[in-house]
Amino acid sequence: MSGRFARGRRRGPVGDQEAADKRAEVLLRAAGVDQGPPDEKFVEALRARLGRELEPEADRGRRRFVQFTSVAAASAAVGVAVDRLVVDTAPTAETPATVVPETGEWRAVVAGRDLPEGGVRPFDVGVLSGFVERVGGQVRGVSGVCTHLGCKLKLAAATRELDCPCHRTSFAVDGVVLRHQLPAQPRPLPKLLVRESGGQVEVFIPTTPA
Amino acid sequence: MGRRLPARRGPGGSDGGRARLRVVSAEPYPDWESVYRDNVDRVFRLIFSRVGNRADAEDLTGEVFLRALRPLRLSASVGEVRTYLVATSRTVLAEHWRRTLGREITTFDDERDVAEAVPDLVDARAGERAERILAALPERYALVLRLRFLQGCSLKEVAARLGVTVANAKVLQHRAVRRAGEVAGGVET
Repeated sequence: MSGRFARGRRRGPVGDQEAADKRAEVLLRAAGVDQGPPDEKFVEALRARLGRELEPEADRGRRRFVQFTSVAAASAAVGVAVDRLVVDTAPTAETPATVVPETGEWRAVVAGRDLPEGGVRPFDVGVLSGFVERVGGQVRGVSGVCTHLGCKLKLAAATRELDCPCHRTSFAVDGVVLRHQLPAQPRPLPKLLVRESGGQVEVFIPTTPA
Repeated sequence: MGRRLPARRGPGGSDGGRARLRVVSAEPYPDWESVYRDNVDRVFRLIFSRVGNRADAEDLTGEVFLRALRPLRLSASVGEVRTYLVATSRTVLAEHWRRTLGREITTFDDERDVAEAVPDLVDARAGERAERILAALPERYALVLRLRFLQGCSLKEVAARLGVTVANAKVLQHRAVRRAGEVAGGVET
């Protein structure tokens, strides 16, 4: 593809003298007035081109994700009425260990008054760790384990982000992937079944871990 | 969106006085755009220093990133990414010369050095190389070449500066380039 093998392209390599002349000219011009950083327009144009050429993969993930979140949002709306843990948030069939306990129990993880509107609280009940938040008066929660390799996520309170210390993946508190550096977009965080009862925020956790 | 450059230095990455010249981190980049933003200046100047004109440097810089970014593993450290970009630049440059002149005209010698260099240093080195060549030439030849290639004067301007005809300036330039070529053969790129 480089054209090296294209017929009739060149008669052959330039001679030694011509090559030396060219080399001198190049090395001199390289020190000339055209030196310096690349033109800003060029930088932006190339960035846009790279975006077009490279995004498809990333984009596919993002688009898939957007589709998925709407599905998830829809099922969440339905799921509220259904007393069943709906946590399979993966768009692909290849889902990691999804938290769907056959048997489980509601476990208080934080006092309701300690989770004000817009607040986020981490919890860890041994078998399950995650984050609960209150949005629009409702409590909800996600798993606190990165969907990539299972590292425990940390809450960056200032930015309300859940950061993976292993590969710099960041999730929003609703489980959405905000940033990642992985070859493929990781799945969003599984949602947990959360409720508020008797002044306590409770999470439904499995009692017999698989 | 959500771009975070690795600002912290990697462990063992600082070595006193040289640290100012080095921005290499053991940490990875968060995304391809960060790789691009952080390296486009360096790669462009590097290639410019081996092709001597901005148009070719832009084309080849584009080729380097298009070729390098797709298979790039973002888990690689900043230093590894830069070394990889320089290696890609080397390949792209070699192909450019073979495509246009049938043989390699300029190459990269010390990749690691270049990978860690700040962009300005790339320019400074190009300046040193040019001065080494010019210093080895008769004064008049050096002047012609300095005016033509370093300062970007036209032949007409050069002729005016030297008080000769344009035809004479052309001959002078031709001879000067030939001598410079002999000298440049011994100048490492």
